[in-house]
Amino acid sequence: MSSAAATLARAVPGPRPARRRLPLNRSGALGLIVVVLVVGAAALAPVITPYGPADSDLVKTLQSPSRAHWMGTDQLGRDLFTRILYGARVSLAIGLVTVGVSGVIGLFVGLISGYLGGLTDAVLMRLVDVQLSFPFILLALVVNAILGIGLQNIILTLIITGWVVYARLVRGEVLALKTLDYVEAARALGAQQMRIVLRHLLPNLWTPVIILSSLQVAQFIVAEAAISFLGFGVQPPMASWGNMLNEGKTYIYNAWWMTTFPGVALVLTALGVNLVGDWLRDTLDPRLGP
Amino acid sequence: MRGTALALLIALLLGLVGNAPAPTAAQDRPLVVALGAEPRSLMAMRIVDWTTNVQQMNIYDRLYYWDGFPPRIKPSLAAELPQTPDDLTWIIKLRPGVKFHNGEPFGAEAVKFTFEWLLDPRNESHYRPRFAFIESMEVLDPLTLRIRTKEPAPIMRYWLVDFTVMAPGYVRSVGNVEASRNPIGAGPYKFVRWDRDERLVLEANPGYWNKPPAIKRVEFRFIPDFSARLASLLAGEADIVKDVPPVAVDQVTRSGLAEVRGVASSRINYLALVNFKPGPLQDRRVRQALNYAVNVDEIVTNLFKGRATRIPGALSSINENVNPNLKPYPFDPERAVRLIKEAGYDPTKLEFTLDSPSGRYPLDKEASEAIASYLGRIGIRVRVVVNEWGTHLDKIINRRTGEMFYLGWGPALEAQGTIAELFRPERTYSGFGTPNLTLEINKAIPIVDLKKRQAAWHLIQVMLYTEAPWIFLWQQHDLYGVNKRVKWEPHPAEKIFLHDAEWVRR
Amino acid sequence: MLQFIARRLLEALVVVFLALTVVFALQFLAGDPVKLFLPTDTTQKEIEEFRERLGFNDPWIVQYARFLRGAFRGDFGNSLRQQEPALALVLLRLPATLSLSGVAMLLALTIAIPVGVISAARRNSWFDHLGIGATVLGQAIPGFWLGLMLIYVFSVWLRVLPTGGRGTWLHFIMPSITLAAFVAARFARLTRSMMLDVLGQDYIRTARAKGLAPLRVLYKHALKNASLPIVTLLALQLGQLLGGAVITETIFAWPGVGRFLVQALLNRDFPVVLVGVFLTAVLYSALNLVADMAYAWLNPRIRYE
Repeated sequence: MSSAAATLARAVPGPRPARRRLPLNRSGALGLIVVVLVVGAAALAPVITPYGPADSDLVKTLQSPSRAHWMGTDQLGRDLFTRILYGARVSLAIGLVTVGVSGVIGLFVGLISGYLGGLTDAVLMRLVDVQLSFPFILLALVVNAILGIGLQNIILTLIITGWVVYARLVRGEVLALKTLDYVEAARALGAQQMRIVLRHLLPNLWTPVIILSSLQVAQFIVAEAAISFLGFGVQPPMASWGNMLNEGKTYIYNAWWMTTFPGVALVLTALGVNLVGDWLRDTLDPRLGP
Repeated sequence: MRGTALALLIALLLGLVGNAPAPTAAQDRPLVVALGAEPRSLMAMRIVDWTTNVQQMNIYDRLYYWDGFPPRIKPSLAAELPQTPDDLTWIIKLRPGVKFHNGEPFGAEAVKFTFEWLLDPRNESHYRPRFAFIESMEVLDPLTLRIRTKEPAPIMRYWLVDFTVMAPGYVRSVGNVEASRNPIGAGPYKFVRWDRDERLVLEANPGYWNKPPAIKRVEFRFIPDFSARLASLLAGEADIVKDVPPVAVDQVTRSGLAEVRGVASSRINYLALVNFKPGPLQDRRVRQALNYAVNVDEIVTNLFKGRATRIPGALSSINENVNPNLKPYPFDPERAVRLIKEAGYDPTKLEFTLDSPSGRYPLDKEASEAIASYLGRIGIRVRVVVNEWGTHLDKIINRRTGEMFYLGWGPALEAQGTIAELFRPERTYSGFGTPNLTLEINKAIPIVDLKKRQAAWHLIQVMLYTEAPWIFLWQQHDLYGVNKRVKWEPHPAEKIFLHDAEWVRR
Repeated sequence: MLQFIARRLLEALVVVFLALTVVFALQFLAGDPVKLFLPTDTTQKEIEEFRERLGFNDPWIVQYARFLRGAFRGDFGNSLRQQEPALALVLLRLPATLSLSGVAMLLALTIAIPVGVISAARRNSWFDHLGIGATVLGQAIPGFWLGLMLIYVFSVWLRVLPTGGRGTWLHFIMPSITLAAFVAARFARLTRSMMLDVLGQDYIRTARAKGLAPLRVLYKHALKNASLPIVTLLALQLGQLLGGAVITETIFAWPGVGRFLVQALLNRDFPVVLVGVFLTAVLYSALNLVADMAYAWLNPRIRYE
C-alpha cells in the first residue's frame, strides 16, 4: 500500500549474491540446539515417555512433579511431561504448515502485485489493508464462530493473518528489483514475462522470505498459544502448549507446574526459533527489518 | 508539532497521577462483589440473565423470593403469598408503607404498571412470553392487585419470585432510556454510578421498608477472567467472588484473608442422550447401560473434591417437587456391557460424539472428558468436541450436536421449569421425548392443587428415571470466595441480595 | 500533496467498506444470534416474533441495504444483548483503550529507542548482547503468561499493585508493562538494525570526521534517518492495539474496546462487532495516512506517488 510500509518491509534495496557461507555464531548455535531438541522431542515422544497424552487417571490428579511424573499431572491425572512432548508436535505443525502455506500465498500475491502494478496492485493491496485492519484475535474468534474449535481452524486463522506480511515484503522487494538495470534491460529486450519473474526476480526473493519465515514460525507458535489461552484452541484431549496453559490457568495458585512447564517450553522454543532467525538475518542480510 | 505532542503526553500522565483517590477509612470501604460481566440492562423485568438479575434485585427488591433451606417462597414487597380463589384468579396483596427511592409510593398500581410494561412488545422484555397467559388486571385497592389468567397457570406462583417492580411515575416521565441508565427502585440500595465494564456503585437506602442495610456502600466489579477474580479476592480487593474452582479451595483458605463458602445450588448438570436420531440411543437399555458405566461418585470425589451433589433423576434434592424415593444408578460396568449386548449391540463397536461447553459450568470440559474415559473402559469410543458457548447453544437449539451433550439447567426449584422445558419433543435442551411422557407432562402443567400436582410430578420423575434420558450427574455447588470480614452466606437460589450481608464486628 | 491525501482517503473508504461488508456477510454463517440472547424457555413462536421485529427475516440484500444506510449516518443499530445503540457502547470504552495503548507505547519507545541506539553504537559490546537477549525474550514471552505472573507476584504475593481495573496511575503499571514488553522488543530490534544501517553510511562518517560530538551525530543525524520505519511500525502497532489488547484487557479487567468486542463476538452481538470493525478499519487507515505524512516530513526526498 503505502510508500512507508514498503520501505518498512524492505529497508534498503540491492541485489544479493545468490549464495553465501553461513558462519555460525554463539547465539545461532544455541538457537539451533534448542530447535533440534524440540524437533527431536516431538518426533520421539512415544519412545521417550511411557504414557499417552490422553491417559487420564482420576486418582492421580494434580500431583506435583515426582519421579513417576517429572512435571507432575494435570486435573485429569494426565502426565504433564508427556503432554508437553506431544504438544511440541502441535506447535511445530502449526508453525511449519502456516508459514509454508501463507508464505506461498504471500509470495504469489506479492509477485503479481509488485510486477504487474496498476489496478491489480491496487486491488490486491486493498485486500491486504482490509486484512491488516482486522485485529488478529477478532479474526480468530470469527473463524471459530463459523467453523468451530479445532487445530485446522487455528491453522486457517494464522494463514489468513500470515500471508499479508509476505505479500507486502515481496511486493516491496519486487518494486525495488524492477528498477535495477539488468531487469529493466531484460524487459526492454522483450524477454518473456515468466522468464523475467523466474530468472531474475524469484532467486532474489528467497533470502528475505526465508528470514521472514524463521521469525514468523516463532510468532505463530505464540499466536496459537494466545488463541488457545482464550479457550479456542485444539480439541481435547489433544495437547498443545497454549491449551495446557489455558487449563493450568484455573490451577495457577495451587498447581504451579501446570502453567510453568508449558510456559517454559513455549518461551524456549520461541526463543530458539528467534535466535535461528536472527542468525539467518544477520548473516544473510543484516539490513532487513524485523 | 513535536512539542505539542510531548506536552499532551505529559498532561496525560499527570492526569493519571492526579486521579488517585484519597485513602478511605476501613469503615467507609465499599463491599466489593466481583462478577464476570456487567448487567445487560438496569431496567427491571427486561432481561433474563443471572448476572443482570442478581445486581438488579439490590436496587428494585422483588415481590417474592426463595428463603431458607430447603428454599421456600417468602413475600418481600408483597405482604403475603398469593391467593388463588379459583384456578384463573390470583390476588396479590402488597406491603404497606413502601416507597421508591424517589419518594413515589409503591403499591398495586406500580405492580400493574410493571406487568403492562413487560407485556408491551415494544419494550422487548424477555418476560413477556412467560406472562402471556394474563387475561386482565384490576387494582382492587391501593395494595391489592387481582390478575385473571386465560387458562390455569400454576407456574405463576414461581414466575412471581424475583419479580422486580419499577416506579411508574418515574418511568413514564423520563422514558426507558433514562430509566435504565438511572434506575429507581424500592430496594435496599440506591443506584449511584455505572462505569461500563468497570463497576456498578450502589449506596444504602435508609428508607428501605425493612431495617436499613448494614453495609452502606456496595460495588459490583466486573472482572471477566476467572483467575484474575480469584487474585482480586486473595489480594483483599474483592469481598465476594463467585465460582472458586473446587481445587482452589485450599488456596483461598491458606490465604488467611478469605474463605470459601459453598452451597449446593439448585442448578443441575447433566449429560443428555439424544434419542431423536436413529441409533443405539433409541434403546432404553443402552441409555441405562451408560448410566451404569460411569462412576459418577468417583468424578464427584476426585475431580470435584466433593463439591457437587449427585442426583438420581432430573431434579435436584432441594427442588420443591423432587421425588425422594429415587436412588442413583450404581456403578456397574459389567451390567452395562450385559445390557448393551441384550439390546443387540457390541460395546466395542459403539462410537459416540459428546459435545461439551468449556468453562460455562464448573469443570464441564473436564467432566465430559472423564465420562468419555469411563465409557472408553467398556469399549465405547466417545469423541469429545469442546465448543465455545455460543456454538454449543447453537448446536443444541438446531439439533446439530452429537449423540450426547453436556448442559446445566437452573435455577430449578420446582418441577415444571425443568421437566416441561426439557422433555417435550419440541424442546431441544435435552433431546429426549416420548409420546407417553408428553401426555403426562401436559396433564401435570395445569394442576393447581399443590398435592395433586406433587403426585403428578413424582410419577413423571419415576418414568424419567427408567427411561434414562440423561446420564444423571449432579447439582453443582456454588463456591463463593468470601473475605472473612464479611458476614454473608450463599443461597441455593443463586442470589446475591446484599441486605443480608454485614461487616464482621471486631 | 492534496491530491495524494484525497487519493488515500478514497482508498481508506474502500478499505472500511470492504471490511464491513466481509463481516456483514460472515455473520450469516455464525449461527442465529436471536436464540442466544433470549432466555432458554422462549418458545419457537416467540423467537420468530423477535426475529421478525429485528428484521432478521428479511432477505439479506434488504438487511445489507438497511445496514449501509444506517452505517452511513453513523447508526449501527442497537446491541442485541444490551438493547442500547451499539456505536455509543463501543465509544464509551474507547478512552480506556486509548489511554492504555498510549501509555504502553510511550513506555515501549522510552525503553526501546535508547536500547536500540546504544546497542547499534556499541555493536558486540556486553550491552548489545544483553539488549539483544532481552528483546528476543520479550518477543518470545506470551503476554498472557507475563500478565498472570505479574498479578501473582505484585498483587497476590507482595500486595503492592492492584490486580486490575482502572482508577489510579498504579492501575496502569502492570497492564502497560504486559502490553509494552512485546512492542518494546520489536522497536528495539528495529531501531538497532536501522541504526546499524545508517551508521555505516558516508554522511555519518563525514559528520564524525568533521568532529561533531558523537551523541549529537547519533541522535541528530543517525536517528532521524533511521526513524522512518520506526514511525511506520508505530502506526501498525497502535492500530493493532485497539482490538488486539484483548488478552491484556481481559486479564487486568481493563474496561477497553478489545475485551468488549470479544464478548460481543462470543454472544453473536453483531451490531457491536460491526462497530468495532468499523473503528479499527478507520483507525488503521488514519494511522497509515499519518505515518506516510510523517514520512515526508522526516525525509523530504520522498515523493508522493
